[in-house]
Amino acid sequence: MGIDIRNLTVTYGAEKVISDLSLTIPQGCFFTLLGPSGCGKTTLLRTIAGFVQASGGSLNFDATDVTRLPPHKRNIGMVFQDYALFPDKTVAQNVAYGLRARYEKGPAADRKVAEALDRVGLGHLGKRHPAALSGGQRQRVALARALVIKPAVLLMDEPLSNLDAKLRIQIRETISELQREANITTVFVTHDQEEALSMSDLIGVMNKGAVEQLGTPQDIYGRPRTSYVADFVGSANRLDVTLEHTDGSLLRANLGPATILATGTLAQAAQRGVLILRPEDLKISAAPRSDMQSLPAEVRRRQYLGSKTSYRLSLGNNVEVIAELHGPGHDGFAAGDRVSLGIDPAIARVISA
Amino acid sequence: MSRSIRSPWFWLSAAALSLLALFVLYPLVNILTASFLGDGPSGWERFFTTAKYRDALVNTLLLASVVTVICTLIGVPLAYVTARYAFRGKALIALLPLITLVIPEVIAAQTWLMMLGNNGLITKFLREFGIRLPSFYGWFGLITSMSFIYYTYVYIGTVAAIRKFDVQLEEAAQSLGTAPSKSRIQVMVPVIMPTILASALLVFTMVVGNFAISSILAQRLPLLSVATYQAAVAEGSTNITMQSTLASVSVLIVMAVLFLNRWVVSRGRFEIVQGRGAPPQPLVGMSGALVAISAGLAVVISLLPLVTIVLGAFTQSVGPVMHWGQWTTDNLSRVFITAPGPLVNSLLYAGIATLISICFSALVSYLVVKKPNILTPWVDYISAIPLALSGTVLGVGLLASFNGGWLSLTGTSTIIVLAYIIRRMPFGMRNSQATLHNIPNSFEEASISLGVPPVATFFKVVLPVMMPAVASAAILTWTTSVAELSASILVYSGGRETLPIQVYRLIDSGLMAYASAYGVVLIAVILIPIIIATKVFRIEVLS
Repeated sequence: MGIDIRNLTVTYGAEKVISDLSLTIPQGCFFTLLGPSGCGKTTLLRTIAGFVQASGGSLNFDATDVTRLPPHKRNIGMVFQDYALFPDKTVAQNVAYGLRARYEKGPAADRKVAEALDRVGLGHLGKRHPAALSGGQRQRVALARALVIKPAVLLMDEPLSNLDAKLRIQIRETISELQREANITTVFVTHDQEEALSMSDLIGVMNKGAVEQLGTPQDIYGRPRTSYVADFVGSANRLDVTLEHTDGSLLRANLGPATILATGTLAQAAQRGVLILRPEDLKISAAPRSDMQSLPAEVRRRQYLGSKTSYRLSLGNNVEVIAELHGPGHDGFAAGDRVSLGIDPAIARVISA
Repeated sequence: MSRSIRSPWFWLSAAALSLLALFVLYPLVNILTASFLGDGPSGWERFFTTAKYRDALVNTLLLASVVTVICTLIGVPLAYVTARYAFRGKALIALLPLITLVIPEVIAAQTWLMMLGNNGLITKFLREFGIRLPSFYGWFGLITSMSFIYYTYVYIGTVAAIRKFDVQLEEAAQSLGTAPSKSRIQVMVPVIMPTILASALLVFTMVVGNFAISSILAQRLPLLSVATYQAAVAEGSTNITMQSTLASVSVLIVMAVLFLNRWVVSRGRFEIVQGRGAPPQPLVGMSGALVAISAGLAVVISLLPLVTIVLGAFTQSVGPVMHWGQWTTDNLSRVFITAPGPLVNSLLYAGIATLISICFSALVSYLVVKKPNILTPWVDYISAIPLALSGTVLGVGLLASFNGGWLSLTGTSTIIVLAYIIRRMPFGMRNSQATLHNIPNSFEEASISLGVPPVATFFKVVLPVMMPAVASAAILTWTTSVAELSASILVYSGGRETLPIQVYRLIDSGLMAYASAYGVVLIAVILIPIIIATKVFRIEVLS
């Protein structure tokens, strides 16, 4: 079922938490709401669930207007941050809970419960109580409980934030698989960009109650439209620039100590903008390279990180960038070295300030 | 707002608020207004011109102050040694909270009389050696018995405060060059002081409100609660001026204490800082023996009633004369066979009261904690009012409010059950609210998201999780209801005696052996559910 949000506004008292938000999530899509805490992503999820009432706008599941429908009639599956497993009920009873609410009992329901538990690899733990499970197992039970009722949409509120790093990657795969298998429209809330990039079909980056950019993971990471998105998703050098002139698809921007060829959306000369450079896209060499534009730089600080080395480079006039080198010899430069910074115009993006 | 009015929770809150207004606020307002109404001179005029009433006020305040000081002097050192030291027999001290819970005040008073009264065991024993104790009736008996009953409240409060006091603060003081004992006084005392003061004030209000011990031991000494009771008995429920005036005086005293308590607590905000408690240090040699002996003495004296009452229950007697050493089971057979009325009544009234009180407090706590609306703060405030009313005051209020008119309850069993519910409901409320605060909202949301409507969710998800707390609140409500005397003795009518009322009447007639038998059964009725709950169902009754 697709989700259609039109001009949605949510207020807490006098404060507008979400203002005039419109969004369409197609059927079967794994949609992620990405943003820092306090950006309104959980509020938006809870509005879709029905726990928060919209003060304006509309919310449709396909053609059905659910804006005023109470949550228990929306046929949603929800996975909570702290799992919210009922402590007095066994794993199987937890999973069967939603079926019983739909008057599904007897062998058919038991079979569904067993199937759902098998699907998450917990078929043997049905008789246990949640307290006797590990964090990852609880997470799987929560997932089985939400999915067994074949909900119209699956809603997940930072479901991985209480797990350790290794488990997080495992469960990430489980979730992705189950979602694809069931082909169920999913809204996933997270502040973790890696989660968002690895799992989603579509990402909405949220800021101050609005979706700042909507796009595929590749769009969001590779073509951030605002400096906020660029900074929040991955890390980015953000340098203030002034447009000198455009040159076909390329433009020349002045960043103080030097000018640089870049791609971008600025059109008028003298327009101010922000140059976005991903650290891992930058090259460092001892001498200027012939295959791309080079800027003279000096290594200020070196941070060895094992699989890569991060360098802070000064371009002069207090303009500094971070560059990361991977591959053999990535730690080959030292503080104080005078080097050449290579920038491919295709990875240097200028956006309006 | 329109949305909250449409929800079922709003209407439940409104219903709860109306019930509380009718059964808590209305009686209270009746008491406070009736003192100005009625025929003849106003109650306040009579209060200030009659020597007996003025004396009652002065005596009550004096008694409460003295008992509070003694309780603090016993309770605080006992708490300190228990929290900070390990010594022989320390486990016995853990029994203290249980003792106060299972021994009703009326029985404590009775057993003190049996030991130290005019015909008491100890009195007679000492008389043989020519030692004559002062009469136990009056100041001596009141102060002694109340101090040994109420010190446990100071002990319980203080021991908790010392246990959670961060020992690092003391270590910091020592690292800065203060001697250990001095740093303790400088650093720990200010932090635990608000707790000590709060529990001392609790003792003060309990002495002011106490009816059972006061009326049994005061004899000719005027005291406020006894005077209120006597005025109520003398006036009946048609002209209630004097009883209302005296009850109002109690209410005003308790209100003053509560304001003082608020002020103390608000000054003690820093107390919240929790930390690593100090591990108990072993105490050996002379000081260890001394501490063990004095702590043991306190516990033994608190336990004495239990022993005395059992002995008394099996001792032959002729009228008021006890034949110590000659055993019989006649007293007990009277309780179960000849006159089982009080036992049956107690079980019935306390059972019904516990059931209603627990359901009501679970629902109301849920509304207050999980479904707040404009009404719920009022529900919360009003349901806490009974904590500040003594049983005698409540009894007067019920008589004044439900005697005739559209809701006439006087002379029914209902009014006794009602008195139980109103007095004990706040315990259940506090218990349930604490548990509900610990149940995350996501439980309910998970259930609702799976398609279960909100009200059904409460029964299917919230209630099962609350169950252990509800069960322990039920036990607590049961034990305190069964032991209730001061309100029920005002509202009961012939044939509706409960166990404590029967014990009280028998003590009044000097029939100690019969009183002991009913007392033993009363303690059993209190103790058995506690034992079953803790041993069989593993419920934490005392938390």
